[in-house]
Amino acid sequence: MRSGVRWLLLPVLLLPVGWLLFANIGVDPRTIPSRVVGKALPTFSLPTLDGTTLTDADLVGRPAVINFWASWCGPCVDEHPVLLDAAQRLGGEVQLVGVVYQDSPERAAAWLRRYGDGGWPDAVDDGSLAIDFGVTGPPETYFVDADGIIRDRVVGPVSTRAMAEGLAAIGVDAS
Amino acid sequence: MLPTIGHAAIVVALALSLYATLAFGLGARRRDRSAVASGRHAMLAAFALAAAASVAMMASLLGHDFSIAYVARNNATTTPPFYSVISLWAALEGSILFWALLLTGWSGLVLHRYRNRHAELMPWVGVTLALVSAFFFAVMAWPGNPFERLTPVPAEGNGPNALLQNHPFMGLHPPLLYLGYTGLAVPFAFGVAALVTGRTQAEWLAIVRRWTVIPWIFLTAGIVAGAWWSYEVLGWGGYWAWDPVENAALMPWLAATAFIHSSMVAERRGGLRVFTMALVVFTFVLTLVGTFLTRSGVVASVHAFTASSIGPWFAVAILLALGGGLGLLLWRLPALADRRPPPLAVSRESAFLLNNVLFLGLTVVVLFGTMLPMVVEAATGERISVGAPYFNAINAPLFAALIFLMAIGPALPWGGTSWSTIRERFAGPALLAVALTLAGVLLGMRGIAQLGTLFLAVFVVGVLGDEVVRGARSRARTRGEPPPVAAWRLATRNRRRYGGYLVHAGICLMAISVAVSATGARQAAATLDVGESMTIGGYTLTLREVVVEPLPDDARVIETRAVVDYGGAQSGSLATAQRDYPSSTTPIATPGVRTFATEDLYVTLLQADANGGAASLQVFLNPLVAWIWVGGFVVVAGAVFAAWPERRRLAMAEVAAAGRRDAPASVPAEGASP
Repeated sequence: MRSGVRWLLLPVLLLPVGWLLFANIGVDPRTIPSRVVGKALPTFSLPTLDGTTLTDADLVGRPAVINFWASWCGPCVDEHPVLLDAAQRLGGEVQLVGVVYQDSPERAAAWLRRYGDGGWPDAVDDGSLAIDFGVTGPPETYFVDADGIIRDRVVGPVSTRAMAEGLAAIGVDAS
Repeated sequence: MLPTIGHAAIVVALALSLYATLAFGLGARRRDRSAVASGRHAMLAAFALAAAASVAMMASLLGHDFSIAYVARNNATTTPPFYSVISLWAALEGSILFWALLLTGWSGLVLHRYRNRHAELMPWVGVTLALVSAFFFAVMAWPGNPFERLTPVPAEGNGPNALLQNHPFMGLHPPLLYLGYTGLAVPFAFGVAALVTGRTQAEWLAIVRRWTVIPWIFLTAGIVAGAWWSYEVLGWGGYWAWDPVENAALMPWLAATAFIHSSMVAERRGGLRVFTMALVVFTFVLTLVGTFLTRSGVVASVHAFTASSIGPWFAVAILLALGGGLGLLLWRLPALADRRPPPLAVSRESAFLLNNVLFLGLTVVVLFGTMLPMVVEAATGERISVGAPYFNAINAPLFAALIFLMAIGPALPWGGTSWSTIRERFAGPALLAVALTLAGVLLGMRGIAQLGTLFLAVFVVGVLGDEVVRGARSRARTRGEPPPVAAWRLATRNRRRYGGYLVHAGICLMAISVAVSATGARQAAATLDVGESMTIGGYTLTLREVVVEPLPDDARVIETRAVVDYGGAQSGSLATAQRDYPSSTTPIATPGVRTFATEDLYVTLLQADANGGAASLQVFLNPLVAWIWVGGFVVVAGAVFAAWPERRRLAMAEVAAAGRRDAPASVPAEGASP
């Protein structure tokens, strides 16, 4: 190597490293934006607990709330009353959908008997829908507007306030 | 009183490290031995002060002195004494204090041990170590003051992070890891000294080899202990998640391992010298990167401390270490360039060269995967995560190639080899590996990951075993010793070689266990009522009872425990629990793990309904996991064996040191080693 040229290596290496080190300081890594918010609902066709089939087409035309859950999931118990309440009060305006995540239909059905069946369809996912949505773990809830565009996402149990905000994002007034 | 003493100790230690930097620098320039001695004494005093500050912090934690913000955040009146003491390294500021303690400890040890030897190198070693120590003390004097006061003084503290008071391994994993991290400043210091003085020949390598192996032992033990802790505590059934901070520990380990190997070529054959020097610099920089990742709040991780203002300090330190080390390397590049071209033959040199390329490749792959989310976010503001599939897919073949090299490298002669040697050395082990792999198929092992790893591991152990037997036989014949005695004497007289073999064998054991446990694990989740059962892989698990009660040694912690009876190949019962800590909003899992020779039964409690007597369980059947830890012990034992000082050699070193006090003493040639 020519004697002078090798010194170019120093800025070539140090400048990007320095930029990288300083650029991320002060950004909170815990807020994770979803990649599906703003996108259209993925296509799917899944069996439901009561033996019918649910497809994405069934959800277009009316705002929808899609809730991923499992019978082995603790926080799902905590959020269930919020979902039941929303279904009861707003059942005419918004379609609730459960998606059973990594669980057997029998256990899911038993869980509903124990904690209350709100009457909305529960699709049994083979895992592909959860991947399309980018679900990290149950419970996770997605708010889809009447045009089939995903507008909001709640990771973890849905609080009353998060439910109201999510519904507002899809044009449903929860108050 | 204690916090005042602690803070004062840190400020004085900072002043002493800065003074030592100047004294060593002056001593180097003017060849003034008294200035060097003064610098050394200042560093020993800095170590004593760091120890005093650490003791002050431990005493404050034990005494629950909530006037110190750190104690109030990480301790409570109910915290058991053991977890109070180890809270020294459980959070940001305390861990930096602990870091400074270990760093000055290593520095004092090295400066004292070589005080009468290597007169050219040691002042610059001192400059480097004093400067690095000064940086850590400065961090504690300004942005990360562990003794910062809190007013008004709260009556009760937050208590330690719930995850970190759940398992006694917290007393072991961080200190081991930190001993490894901080110890790697020593080879860096010698590298800098060699570059500054231009004494880049074998002298510094001979010292640094051992001073890299020693921190490497701690780093290895720390990483294995961390994986073990994660397995026993976190309750997700795994032990390695390619978490940014795990990677931060793995990267310096990979770079240090590459260095240990390339330095053998550099020392014995004069090759790979630029590479070796660059690795010393990168290893140290990577230890700082690990600190930066955990302590600046840039990554989300089980290890990440809360976001703090020390990020920019570490960013600057990384740039200075990288820029300084690289600058010196570029300056000395003409003198370092290899005099002999790298051999193209099938030889031990080329095996080492390939080994280094692979280790560097692994480091780059891990670094890229760890940094990519940061790059993408800095450039576009988007969040991505790089998951285990990326790391597994790219690293697995590289590791496989390394294991193959572990077999052939040590058995190849330096310089070149012939086909007959290759046949003689490798045909037997290869046949053995084929036979045992077929046996593995019959035993039910499947897939390229399991069978390929088994083949390679048996091949390596076969070649190494053959080497040992061959050597022991020849010694037994020529000296008339019984074969076991001959084998032991052979090993203890060539510690580096045979210790290295043991390390390789341990890595093979770990590799098989990792391959099988990663690809052969089974899992199931179910909600059981009391008396109900579930099955997994031949085991039947029955929920016996659900108990909710406070912990006996800390009543503020409520434990929800499911007792499960299991039957099958083994039978018994285990308890799996969730603990609610006042300092944590989410309950902390305490998985129930039963370890058998061939598999672990691993039960995590996801949710329990104490009134109804039901529990949601996640059950894993993890094959061979226990052998990963056994392999880790073998690796550490092998490395300790290799680094153990030999009596004869030590005696010679003392004579040499006494004989020529001022001369740059040569370290006596070590035994015929790889």
